[in-house]
Amino acid sequence: MLRPCDMMAVCMARLIHDGDTVFHGVSSHLPMVAVLLAKATHAPNAVHLNIPGGVDPHRPRLQTFTSAGGELTDTAEAIFPLQEVFDLSMRGGLDVAFLSGVQFDNRGGVNASVIGDYRKPKVRLPGGAGSAVLIPTAKRAILWRTKHDKRTFAETLDFVTARGHVTDIVTPLCAFTLYKGELIVKSVHPTSTIDEVAENTGFPIRYLTLATTPPPTEAELRALNDIDPGDTRNLEFR
Amino acid sequence: MTKRMPLAQAMQTIPDGALLGLGGNTLNRAPMAAVLELARQKKRGLRLVKTAGGMEVDLLCFAGCVQSVDAGFISYETEYSLCQHYRKAVQNGEVVAHEHACYTVISALRAASYGIPFMPVRGLQVSDLVAANDYFAPVTDPFTGETLNAVKAIRPDVCVIHAQLADEQGNALIEGPKYDDVLLSRASKTTLVTAERIVGPEYFANSPVKADIPHFLVSAVVYAPRGAAPSACHGLYGVNGEDLRAFLNLTDNAALDAWLKRRA
Repeated sequence: MLRPCDMMAVCMARLIHDGDTVFHGVSSHLPMVAVLLAKATHAPNAVHLNIPGGVDPHRPRLQTFTSAGGELTDTAEAIFPLQEVFDLSMRGGLDVAFLSGVQFDNRGGVNASVIGDYRKPKVRLPGGAGSAVLIPTAKRAILWRTKHDKRTFAETLDFVTARGHVTDIVTPLCAFTLYKGELIVKSVHPTSTIDEVAENTGFPIRYLTLATTPPPTEAELRALNDIDPGDTRNLEFR
Repeated sequence: MTKRMPLAQAMQTIPDGALLGLGGNTLNRAPMAAVLELARQKKRGLRLVKTAGGMEVDLLCFAGCVQSVDAGFISYETEYSLCQHYRKAVQNGEVVAHEHACYTVISALRAASYGIPFMPVRGLQVSDLVAANDYFAPVTDPFTGETLNAVKAIRPDVCVIHAQLADEQGNALIEGPKYDDVLLSRASKTTLVTAERIVGPEYFANSPVKADIPHFLVSAVVYAPRGAAPSACHGLYGVNGEDLRAFLNLTDNAALDAWLKRRA
């Protein structure tokens, strides 16, 4: 049985190129595992950057309560903390930023701020963290969201926290990519169908070719279990 | 000169309405002993500043101590999820959320530490945050004419930082991730340190590892073992899930008061 967390982690890892500088923040176990997986498989020279500032931590003992703790600095090779990761992105040196949000539109806009009015919100969300500056300045902003429904993928956003260089969005159902400024379905995960994606997306979906996301390989699954024996990648699905 | 004092006395130096910077990041090394004492003293109108906050912001909102929160992200992260008290307080209009990108909090603190009124930042080109908040404004590069966004300086009246080690003069060492605490100490008018361990006056002079926060920026040192709990303190203890859950299950202010009193 293919679990959505494994498919998502693998799908996100494959978007990392060898040599990329890659950042993830708080509440980000899935991308943290994806970076470690990419480094353990096809992208050994990717550079793992994070909030506490541990550059390329070696086999960190992942914790469930945070993706920004000392486990990422204890076995790191150098210290390059959040402030400097932002600076790197500002001067054009950050290849990939993994970010999330609560609403996305079909032009790659992200809302992580409020549902309703900004000043008197119906729902106050946690906030975009680095999104408003990283999405426009990182070369590729890759988004993930473990919910895929019509409220998440919406025709219009209540609030635009950020727009910019979103290139991909990974969900439990599919992978979207930005094509000529429009979010299109790149591949549907083997556990879903294009009809299910369409039914759960609040705008008409389009695609160039109907592709299936290649399932995780044995080697990828082995590496996942090795990196993340505590299954932190599944936290958002528990 | 010793600046060591009891926790209650140190927190009494923070007036109602203070612009208050908080050290740590989410459930990592939050200055919880100090925050609990601020709640016990029933502070009002605090204006909190943090890049990514969690329990300390949620608790102070629950206790009615907060007027506004300047932050990029407020949550307990995935495992312990949303800050419901913060969220409700903002939705009810009791607390004003000044949403930043984490970097704009950093930039605002840098401006304060450099003694300048604002800091230009990239990004934010296409964000509703710019129009929605008066602490962002477009600014023109006088040399090239390029338009950037400026973020207004944030100079906290005081910041509270929990450290693993401090001496009685106020020199403090943070082990493991330092997050934005060193910058916070430079940007704030004064710094209050709570520490897991108080070392002797010669400790840092004889150590190859020097303090991150020098004594002359610090106005109080408090001995506070487990002073970050129930959040984690790197190298010493992890999150106390049981205690955190007990807090999250509190439903009203009477229960909160009892919970705070038990921890005094």
